[in-house]
Amino acid sequence: MQNPAALNQINGNDRSFIDQVIANRLGRPGALLGILEAVQDRNPHKYLSIEVLRYIAEKTHIPLARIYSVATFYALFNLDPQGQNTICICRGTACHTRGSRKLLESLRLELGLNEAGDMSEADKLSVTTPDGKFTIRTVACFGQCALAPVAEINHHICGHVNERTLEREVKALDGER
Amino acid sequence: MPSIQDISTFHTVRDSGLNKLVPSMPRVAVGMGTCGRGNGAEDVYQAFAEAIDRTGADVQLTGVGCFGACSQEPLVNVRLPGRALIVLRRVQANDAERILYDVSMGNITPDLTYCQIDEWDHITAHVKYGPGYPELLPWNEVPFFKGQKKIVLRNCGFINPDDIEEYIAVGGYEALYKVLIDGRPEAVIEQMKAAKLRGRGGAGYLTGIKWEFLAKAKADQKYIICNADEGDPGAYMNRNEIESDPHALLEGMIIGGYVMGATEGIIYVRAEYPLAVHRLRRAIEQAKEYGMLGENILGRGFKFHIELVEGAGAFVCGEETALIASLEGQAGRPRPRPPFPAQKGLWGKPTNINNVETWYNIAPIITKGPAWFTETGSAKSPGTKVFSLVGKVHSTGLVEMPLGTPLKNFIYDVGEGGVNGRTIKAVQTGGPSGGCITKTWHSSAPSWVRAAWWSWTKTTVWWMWRATSSSSRIRSLAENVFPAASA
Repeated sequence: MQNPAALNQINGNDRSFIDQVIANRLGRPGALLGILEAVQDRNPHKYLSIEVLRYIAEKTHIPLARIYSVATFYALFNLDPQGQNTICICRGTACHTRGSRKLLESLRLELGLNEAGDMSEADKLSVTTPDGKFTIRTVACFGQCALAPVAEINHHICGHVNERTLEREVKALDGER
Repeated sequence: MPSIQDISTFHTVRDSGLNKLVPSMPRVAVGMGTCGRGNGAEDVYQAFAEAIDRTGADVQLTGVGCFGACSQEPLVNVRLPGRALIVLRRVQANDAERILYDVSMGNITPDLTYCQIDEWDHITAHVKYGPGYPELLPWNEVPFFKGQKKIVLRNCGFINPDDIEEYIAVGGYEALYKVLIDGRPEAVIEQMKAAKLRGRGGAGYLTGIKWEFLAKAKADQKYIICNADEGDPGAYMNRNEIESDPHALLEGMIIGGYVMGATEGIIYVRAEYPLAVHRLRRAIEQAKEYGMLGENILGRGFKFHIELVEGAGAFVCGEETALIASLEGQAGRPRPRPPFPAQKGLWGKPTNINNVETWYNIAPIITKGPAWFTETGSAKSPGTKVFSLVGKVHSTGLVEMPLGTPLKNFIYDVGEGGVNGRTIKAVQTGGPSGGCITKTWHSSAPSWVRAAWWSWTKTTVWWMWRATSSSSRIRSLAENVFPAASA
């Protein structure tokens, strides 16, 4: 029995994409992760809405509770729309010793996000500006430790960053809009 | 290229690969690992490509993996026909034109030269690049490389990771071929036991014994897993190994599959390593095309498939039971053992999990034999280990040293001490749950300098869940691996 609310909110193209991804992967090792990754990646705002999760649950016959548990367990999955630009600051120890906390703080301040997000988990952050232009995230380690401190700006790794270079990048991205 | 089903086709492919690796024209190879890219290697490559286009120079341009000297990136190696390989360091895009000019004149670019390599033991084959230049330092006389022994990193920075033919040119897939022709899986297990190869994920369990468990397990389906969920901050050995030499991982796993009687292999890579994922995906496609994976591998009737699974940003999935839960579509939470994966693993079937680096040691042991392997390293733990040397040391990078090398050699010889000549105050090993080692290197002068030095990536994950044995394990590791540290 399909849930009509889910069908209302996912368009036909997306539905057939999801159906295809499920058909390709179901039953293989790591299938659920792969399905969620592919579906999130296709979304223009890089997130999984509850309707999409519900739809995947119906199609795969995996309980929604389990899909939700997986989507919330892994840091890569977003349940909220992401900004047009993503800046990800590495909080690994090599980056930490080279000042990545300071970088993160100044970036948050610059984008007016210094109050946003759960500060109790400062090392697991994902906050988006109200205008949807920027998302600031953190990652445990990119494995680019020799370039510490490292930031990933729209999936491009930048090594040896400092507050000034970050500020310049943000300005450049802001100007493009 | 048709799939390889006999020795003569295999040799044809190897010759074709050698023509690319040591061509009769100059070859310029840009180090295109993530560390190189983070330092501008893509721009450098682009600049070479444009300059070659513009001048019509007769030069072969290619991308290779990383040679390990991260602090000298971007690295470019240049070889004139019949001569030694020259490694250039800190090459910028605007150097491309003059390097190409020098190449066309048969010269080297002195101010950028780091070292030279006249011949190289790729372990599975030996390649003579050509006679060296008297004025240049051989690679192993550069402080960063002195004392290093590259077994795992044997091909990193030399071959194009996107080209299976270059891997075959340096002896790749020969060990697999040999194992399939010999047809004696139990003999391979004996070799692994005799080599005393220990799992490189950190727990240090004997690989031969682990393989024997799975080989003896009776089941309609068995699985082999490569744990490439390298997550400990500071550690990036596996990333570089995969990015630079993905076929060596596949070869180790295919051999493992044959020996243990499994037909399905899974590589679980963390999603934070997009380039590694990309290169592995391509390597798997090529291996299928050339007959190294699929239904009738190398015409010997063995069937093996490899599936690539991307993690989704959960550190804990590097622990083997959590990794299995993740593959089964659950949140990656560890469960108590026993049952061990060799008894009940993925979907309840017998499963073997080895770390990336363990798989890289398989082909060399088969090619050179256990006696050769045990010549290196300590008596209890032979071989080498790749370490990432990062933090406030002068020379950062990936270092492959014999096990049992004292810590001070890493810091003061390879790493050349603290950055800007400052004193090293403490050294951290083993990731977040490893310890800080201060005793031997405690400086009497106050200093802000700290060196973060990481090793044994998954070691810490193991210890976290085996708290009861952790202190004795750490001590024994320290005694075995870092005699100076525990003295």
